[in-house]
Amino acid sequence: MEFSDWDLVQKCQAGETSAFQELVSRYQQKIFMVVLGLLRDREDSMEVAQEAFFRAYRKIKGFKGGSSFYTWLYRIAVNMAIDAQRRQKRNPLEFRENMDGVLEEQNEVEKDPFSNAHDKELRAGLIAAINDLTAEHKAVIILRTVEGLPYRDIGEILGCSEGTVMSRLHYARKKLRGKLKAFL
Amino acid sequence: MTMMKRCEDIRDRIGAWMDGELSRSGAEEVRVHLESCPACCEERRQLEKLQASLRAVLVAGPSNVSFERFWSGVEQRINRKRVWHEDFFGWARDLSTPPQLAWLVPAVIILVLMGVFSLESFFPGSRLAVRRNNFAAVESIDGFGRNVAVLRENETKTTIIWLYQNQEGEDESTGEKTDASPSF
Repeated sequence: MEFSDWDLVQKCQAGETSAFQELVSRYQQKIFMVVLGLLRDREDSMEVAQEAFFRAYRKIKGFKGGSSFYTWLYRIAVNMAIDAQRRQKRNPLEFRENMDGVLEEQNEVEKDPFSNAHDKELRAGLIAAINDLTAEHKAVIILRTVEGLPYRDIGEILGCSEGTVMSRLHYARKKLRGKLKAFL
Repeated sequence: MTMMKRCEDIRDRIGAWMDGELSRSGAEEVRVHLESCPACCEERRQLEKLQASLRAVLVAGPSNVSFERFWSGVEQRINRKRVWHEDFFGWARDLSTPPQLAWLVPAVIILVLMGVFSLESFFPGSRLAVRRNNFAAVESIDGFGRNVAVLRENETKTTIIWLYQNQEGEDESTGEKTDASPSF
């Protein structure tokens, strides 16, 4: 029998750690991908994703189900990733090496959609342009592109209105398009 | 609405239209405009290519991430006994997120002001302290066509009363010439 998220949350609140383990296995990959999209550093992203689950575990007794569990969990993870990204921006040299590693690994993906030289340039330019975005702009791009979340959920996760999400997405895309004009 | 203004308005909404986030009438308006405007169509094409490239970069991710040890990392955190300063920094980090920060700024200002005003109690004669017995008050009343400003200096029991007439007001009401200089 498949339990819903809310069933598992209630079990966690009653002290069943195994229920929390089930929630972790449901969302670990999604949370990791969102954090990786923001940080571009695999090790840091793994740390932040695990810490986000830990923080969710500690706060789960206070979760009343006012929003869905996943938007609540994403909110914790995205806020932590944004904080970590700000720390990264202050110390860019510290994570440069790891970021290059991620890019190399991504080049090894079997069905590489960026097969020719022009597209590879586009990919490199795109990664640089994404890294230049502000944390808030990057977050809306990731949540929309990676997760395909509706604006309402993105707003709930980031603590802003749907209108703000729409406006941030518009300006983030405009910035990316401006930097990648030669490739599009 | 001029054509250019109309195109600008539509271009602001193409992204939301592609995301399926416009109302039915708004979406129809964008669709109809795109059928007849090659420039906005080009904008849409660029946005679609950007969106596809973003998806390819962000969703692909590194191929060899293993989640086998993910839960054990979370579990370790749950079981580890935290020292008090880790909890304190966690609490402080939660406080420093933007919504909480909005309350924190005025709270800090109030605390600093309270500190400055109470310095005299702890360090009598301190140059930084605000001297309570040097109290100045300026009152403005309008009696018999005159304003009164009172300046009290409590330490030396000196009171200065400054009477003056409001020339502008007099001119408006009576048209009489008045002397605006203060009289003691």
